[in-house]
Amino acid sequence: MQHDAEKPLFVGEKPMPKYIRRSVLALSIDDAQLGEKAYASWADAIILDCPKQAGRDWQADLKARMPAAIHAAAKGGAEVFVRIHRDCAAAELDATVFAGIVGVVLTGVTAADDISAVAKGLDALEISRGIASGALEIDVEVDTAGAVWHALAIARASERFGAFYVNEAALCRNLGMQSAPRLAFDPLEYIKSQLITVATAVGGQAMGMSYPLGLTQGNADEANVKKAVRLARDTGFKGAMCPHAAWINICNEGFRPTAEEAAYYVKVIEVFAEGIKRGMASVPIDGKMIDVPVDLRAKLYLKWANRAQARDDAKARAHERQGN
Amino acid sequence: MAENINNRRSWMIVPAHDPAAGTSYGEIKPDVVVLDLEYSVPPKAKEAARAGLGALVKKIGDSQTAVFVRIDRDTRWADVRAAMHRGITGIVFPGPDAPEEVAELDELITAMERERGIDVGATELVLMLESAKGFWHADAIAQASPRVSALGVGRIDLTMRLGPVPQDEFRLGRFLMTRALVAARMLGKQPLGALWRPGSRGGVASQPVTAKAAAEARLMGFTGCLCATPEQVMPVNDGFSSV
Repeated sequence: MQHDAEKPLFVGEKPMPKYIRRSVLALSIDDAQLGEKAYASWADAIILDCPKQAGRDWQADLKARMPAAIHAAAKGGAEVFVRIHRDCAAAELDATVFAGIVGVVLTGVTAADDISAVAKGLDALEISRGIASGALEIDVEVDTAGAVWHALAIARASERFGAFYVNEAALCRNLGMQSAPRLAFDPLEYIKSQLITVATAVGGQAMGMSYPLGLTQGNADEANVKKAVRLARDTGFKGAMCPHAAWINICNEGFRPTAEEAAYYVKVIEVFAEGIKRGMASVPIDGKMIDVPVDLRAKLYLKWANRAQARDDAKARAHERQGN
Repeated sequence: MAENINNRRSWMIVPAHDPAAGTSYGEIKPDVVVLDLEYSVPPKAKEAARAGLGALVKKIGDSQTAVFVRIDRDTRWADVRAAMHRGITGIVFPGPDAPEEVAELDELITAMERERGIDVGATELVLMLESAKGFWHADAIAQASPRVSALGVGRIDLTMRLGPVPQDEFRLGRFLMTRALVAARMLGKQPLGALWRPGSRGGVASQPVTAKAAAEARLMGFTGCLCATPEQVMPVNDGFSSV
């Protein structure tokens, strides 16, 4: 059963999730194999890190290299972002924002003003670099106490806001927490809950991983990564940064409804529709009561599954084009 | 505030009316002595406790031990007047609800510093959060005075004022500790707090339970906590020191 991805299911529906960005891979523009790695990764999004070359005019250097780097990173159909830091945001924006990127990921944020300043910079750069006005997104890598405390103001600071990324290791350092996972519970549990809630409230989403893998970023075996991704998805995260290439496929498969879930949702929708036709307000399936909210949830989750599939199809087409 | 405030691990509460208040800390060696005018002092002994603060503060201050006075929220004006003597490091203010309360206390402390010949601005303020309002507005409250050097998580009042009777695990605790920690780190204040386990709350916590709570709090980002009994000082020092 297919549902129109663009048509709202009910008034006020928020798309769930806003973007299909399940797996995000960071690559340096200095990486000689940038294009090959991006292409082979099947990541939904690539974040470009842009190191400044010592002893050179780094802005001129980056300006000269960014268009090709952005093109290379997009080879596999991934959305491309550049990562910049609050402290030198204006200069880094000028050096890295070119047609082809979807947005920027801002680190070191401590207050809403940081977002406003970047939004203003993007307004000007979109005009001067031939990018559609308002098109570029601002995502926030949460790595300071200030970003946590002011999360709502930060997310509301610009219409460009798209997502929070939880940088657990950096955030733990900033909060004076141990960066080794020695606690039996996730010390960032409430912070993650807050960021997921705030991002969703403004129509964005939160990206992160469950404890302890989100903190250790360890290269765990497949079963453990799958388990961690499932927990992260069920907590409310819509995707995660992947420190290892092996995480990408697991994230692509894990941050979406499973095939079994999708099949169940189809069944729910069909059985409930039949029940409505017979004049019933609720119907049972396998001993569970199906009523309007359950039906709506099934439709939303099925929409999510379909959008995830559409994203995979788009990446497959990008690979085919490159292959030709 | 020349010393590193995050080195203050154990904040030992000493009833200010206790005849041993001026000597017990010497053997136990807490990082901070907190002369108490709040719960550990019976109402009938409050006046005597206030009257004795001058000598106590001077004696402890002379020994180079950091000495704070914990005031009672309801009688804070009289308590601050009684506490402000040369040698005092700061005031522990339990249960602030609004920035205005902190600003008002700041003004009173400034006036007392001038009156008693204490360097103006030298007296610190430690805020122990104990109410829903306090936690929600922690950033504004902590920024209401430049004297604020630490933000802490209260315990007994906190559980009473927020409702859950901690017969079992105090489930709000971690959320509130997270909120206090984030505010403290954001503002560069020392985060104080540790969560005692059920059945061993507050002053009756055993040494092993205290050590575990302190070590867990350290892993969460806290650097010290109040000690309701002298027996808690050593495990608290250990818990906040271990790597």
